[in-house]
Amino acid sequence: MAHSPPYPDSYRDTGDDREVEPALGSTAGAPRWVKVLGIMALVLVLLVVVLLLTGGGTHGPGRHMSSSDVGGQTPPRA
Amino acid sequence: MRPRLRKFVLTAHVVASVGWLGAVAVFLALAVVGLTSQEAQVVRAVYLAMEPAGWFVLVPLSLASLLSGLVQSLGTKWGLFRHHWVLIKLLINVVATIVLLMYMQTLGYLADVAAQTTSSSGDLSLLRSPSPVLHAGFGMLLLLVAATLSVYKPRGMTRYGQRKQHEQRAVSQT
Repeated sequence: MAHSPPYPDSYRDTGDDREVEPALGSTAGAPRWVKVLGIMALVLVLLVVVLLLTGGGTHGPGRHMSSSDVGGQTPPRA
Repeated sequence: MRPRLRKFVLTAHVVASVGWLGAVAVFLALAVVGLTSQEAQVVRAVYLAMEPAGWFVLVPLSLASLLSGLVQSLGTKWGLFRHHWVLIKLLINVVATIVLLMYMQTLGYLADVAAQTTSSSGDLSLLRSPSPVLHAGFGMLLLLVAATLSVYKPRGMTRYGQRKQHEQRAVSQT
């Protein structure tokens, strides 16, 4: 090969021969798998937001910051 | 980075990352038991065990995974911002670590309640929460994506990576 491979492990990773980068000068946008992953992440984030909103905002570490919360939930000892 | 050092850091990164994934799997199992068990002692024990397990296993492994990943990427030709899969792994690692550190407050609260409650069913209802199951489940999902990216190394360079590659080739041709 005239130039070093764009993927550092290309010489040793014999189990994968697909590790070839786009040709020099390629300005293609993000690959399809990145877009798919991005959409999935967006759906997941929206799901979490919906869960938080429908949960009445009682989620998160902030709800445990008040000392009265802990005291209020501690049962009286005999 | 010299080959021997690179292999050492790579080993550390794999061990920390896979260890983190395994620890989260155990955490998920504990969380499910805490949510579903009818035994009061078991439920209390689960929530008491979660906090030290978080501080002594999850947090160190997450930080070790993040640190070794940073060293591994910055010390090799992979770089930190050149390949989409490396960048996405970095985002996953940072987000998961931040959420974990924040969630340790909740685990501390649950452990406090578990230590103070009696064994009555009313007290147990204070402890039972789907929150640990949800957090551990989402955490596992994220770490599985990161592990898959590490193995498959899907192609695709960022604009920054493409620009750097152009610059390097231009320099090597002169």
